[in-house]
Amino acid sequence: MTDAPSSGEAPPLPPGTPPILQLMGISKYFPGVIANADVSLDVRPGEIHALLGENGAGKSTLMNIVTGIYQPDAGEIVLDGYAQRLASPQEAIRAGIGMVHQHFKLVQAFTVAENIHLGWRDTPPRASTRVLEARTRALSERFGFAVRPDARIADLSAGEQQRVEILRVLARQARLLILDEPTAVLTPTEARDLFRALQVFRAQGNAVILISHKLDEVMDISDRISILRGGRKIGTFATADCTPAMLARTMVGRDIVRRDLRARPPGAAPVAARPALGLRHVTTRDERGIETLRDVTLDLHGGEILGIAGVAGNGQRELTQVLTGLLAPDAGDILLDGVPVATPDPAHFARAGIGHIPEDRLRSGLAPSLDIADNMALREYDRPPIGGRGGYAPRAAQALARQIADAAAVRIPDYAMPIRNLSGGNQQRLVARREIRIADRILVAAYPSRGLDIGAIATVLGYLTDLRDRGVAIVLVSEDLEELLNVADRIGILFQGRLMATIDAATADMETIGLLMGGRTAAHTGGTT
Amino acid sequence: MARIVQRLPSVSPTRLLIWRAGAVIAALLLTTLFLALSGRDPALLAELVVRSTVGSRFGLEDLALFMTPLMLTGAAVTVTSRIGIWNIGAEGQFYAGAIGAAGIGLFVHGPALLVLPLMTFCGVLCGMAWILVPTLARAYASVNEIITTLLLNFVAALLTSYLAVGPWHDRVTGALASTARLPVAIPDLWGVVHWGFPLALAVVAILAATLDRTRWGYEVRISGANPEAARYAGIPVRARIVAVMLLSGALAALAGVSEVAGTVHRLQGGIANNFGYFGIVVAVLARGSCLNVLPAALLMAFILDSGIVLQTQQLTASTVLAITGLVLFMISIGDELAHYRPVSTSKEAAP
Ligand SMILES: Nc1ncnc2c1ncn2[C@@H]1O[C@H](COP(=O)(O)OP(=O)(O)OP(=O)(O)O)[C@@H](O)[C@H]1O
Ligand SMILES: [Mg+2]
Repeated sequence: MTDAPSSGEAPPLPPGTPPILQLMGISKYFPGVIANADVSLDVRPGEIHALLGENGAGKSTLMNIVTGIYQPDAGEIVLDGYAQRLASPQEAIRAGIGMVHQHFKLVQAFTVAENIHLGWRDTPPRASTRVLEARTRALSERFGFAVRPDARIADLSAGEQQRVEILRVLARQARLLILDEPTAVLTPTEARDLFRALQVFRAQGNAVILISHKLDEVMDISDRISILRGGRKIGTFATADCTPAMLARTMVGRDIVRRDLRARPPGAAPVAARPALGLRHVTTRDERGIETLRDVTLDLHGGEILGIAGVAGNGQRELTQVLTGLLAPDAGDILLDGVPVATPDPAHFARAGIGHIPEDRLRSGLAPSLDIADNMALREYDRPPIGGRGGYAPRAAQALARQIADAAAVRIPDYAMPIRNLSGGNQQRLVARREIRIADRILVAAYPSRGLDIGAIATVLGYLTDLRDRGVAIVLVSEDLEELLNVADRIGILFQGRLMATIDAATADMETIGLLMGGRTAAHTGGTT
Repeated sequence: MARIVQRLPSVSPTRLLIWRAGAVIAALLLTTLFLALSGRDPALLAELVVRSTVGSRFGLEDLALFMTPLMLTGAAVTVTSRIGIWNIGAEGQFYAGAIGAAGIGLFVHGPALLVLPLMTFCGVLCGMAWILVPTLARAYASVNEIITTLLLNFVAALLTSYLAVGPWHDRVTGALASTARLPVAIPDLWGVVHWGFPLALAVVAILAATLDRTRWGYEVRISGANPEAARYAGIPVRARIVAVMLLSGALAALAGVSEVAGTVHRLQGGIANNFGYFGIVVAVLARGSCLNVLPAALLMAFILDSGIVLQTQQLTASTVLAITGLVLFMISIGDELAHYRPVSTSKEAAP
């Protein structure tokens, strides 16, 4: 199979210390799916234990069992040497196990302080807002997670929301912290801060289980690594014995073929001379009147991939929304085939062949509680065979869903189940395929590889280059400079809503882009176009 | 071979039906037990209930009369639940529909063929007007509809009583706190069952087709499940909310029209008879599906009808209410249990 180092035995524990958590033969079945099969695992005090595996390998499910959300169908959970039954997340947290989920579970309308104190035994009865906020501030200082106690969750960035989630768990005296893809939504700086805090947490004799698809960060921070494939554990390795390539191979069970994505095969569509979509001096403001995009001018040409680099929160969201008709500019024009669009309307943009992989798939790209067929019809419900003459044909919607799932290589046991039951990465794959179907002319892809395993990332980037070769214009928003340099033809850099420069990817280097991302202008760096 | 029980995310309609039937039977057995313990003869009571509901022609007629408004108010609450809104005000819109219909019936004279459609039109319009303010408040200011629609129920009930004893009071006989008998009526179809019954059936069927098989229905579903995804797909969420809520008001009002013009033939205080509130129960039983409204309304009609029969046998109203609650309680337990199914896991699947 692989030439992975011998599995298991990392340095022995000091005698007498049982592992914080020991899983023995855990299995979990869903109808038509074996999510976990006979998984045994131990997590020791003072370690950061990474859990790797492909999309749908069963990582989230296993952790949901450890935190009492699901009951295992077989197997045992042993905490500090004692077998335990965890009937609910409340019981798990009482036993010192806290989890931050792949998709946050905060109450959006509540403040930070209210969320921290929600459903907590230590919350003083009849506490005033002031008391709750003071307690939150104290907790925030004690654990080194800066939060604003009076801010409403809905107004916070992903990184800030995550800090609240972690603080919520730590406040309840967790000794084992489980993080499900915590860095997927973080900026590199936020991720660094998180890791620093995790190291402090570990130094106090606590343990962390970290689920991630980013092998580099796993290599950086973890002490041991366990790998799941198809619900089974393949092995546990000491990180020191691992290399990213070996991890990738063990996860997928085969070698991942890399191909040169920027090279065009013979017969690929050339870059179109006339832009398909253009922005002219576009400025947008948020509800507080602060400019989120400033005077952005750009052109999208068929047959070309325009990468958008920048630290998250510098206008990427607004840019993708303007390009897909979701947000009307406060000043400036959107030109569709050279014609200014008077009132942008997302349905009109979709019909014009503009696909959109949104940055937050659960919040804006899917209706999690509806079934898979309904979700896959979202872009084509108004045309035959599903729509047409005001009708809606459920059969045709299901056929479409089947087609999309096949193309995305996602196995679906039951098309009538709510789409939220799919693994995070599989949801992302379906959204990507759904949007690629309608993207006849333009595809706006915001962080399309977020939450995907390495194999799937290569596949999705391959989709983008295939589209490019068919003459579609592509906007690829990403935080991963390497990814951008690999596939993009030109790279635009956003800083505080301004498009700092658009540079040719063939001649660009990481350093220049890094400087521009930090707000240094082109004049200082030279060599831009 | 190990067998374990697990909760499935979705349930097939047949399974649900079987569990519900089981739940109803369990509730009836429990009731029988309690009646027997309190010294009554359950067999006698059961026989009486059966005879005066499904067991005789008069019983069936009564059932159909109960079912007609329940189907419509149940549909009214179901349609808003599709977009994630709870119309607690079907009771008020029922009154508004009744007032509108009675107003035309009392004061516009002409052939029934002309007056009846006019009554319907006016009643429906009144029902839509009654939900208009909660609708706009919800769509444009995100004001929670549960409170606004609920409060308007009391206003509508008082307005009806006022009209019935005040300005529209029957001055000729003067005895009842009601208006005079309307000169026109929905023609009878079968005994006392009037054409409102098949019309209500048709309305529910059309509504079910609209919600499940049209683009509009799909857009409503998406808007309800995730408004942000709806906007992403270019669906005008606000317009859909307004349309759905007005439609809901119209359906509840239609129940009021049919009650005034087909069953009661006059406007009187309390004419809504809690049909609006029972519509909520029907909608909950129907679990968001319009076609399910039909059996749910039938069950509710049966419960209400039996309740009246039992009250004639010196069972107190609260006992009847407790039995009603028990039936609904058992059904919701059955609904939940229907999700669980034993799954066999062979050794090959879990080595
Ligand atoms: N509630 C559920 N009902 C049915 N199937 C489920 C449910 N939850 C998870 N599954 C299935 O179990 C499998 C494992 O899912 P899980 O979410 O654990 O994967 P994962 O390893 O976390 O993947 P990802 O990296 O994509 O997040 C998937 O096939 C998923 O569809
Ligand atoms: Mg997961």
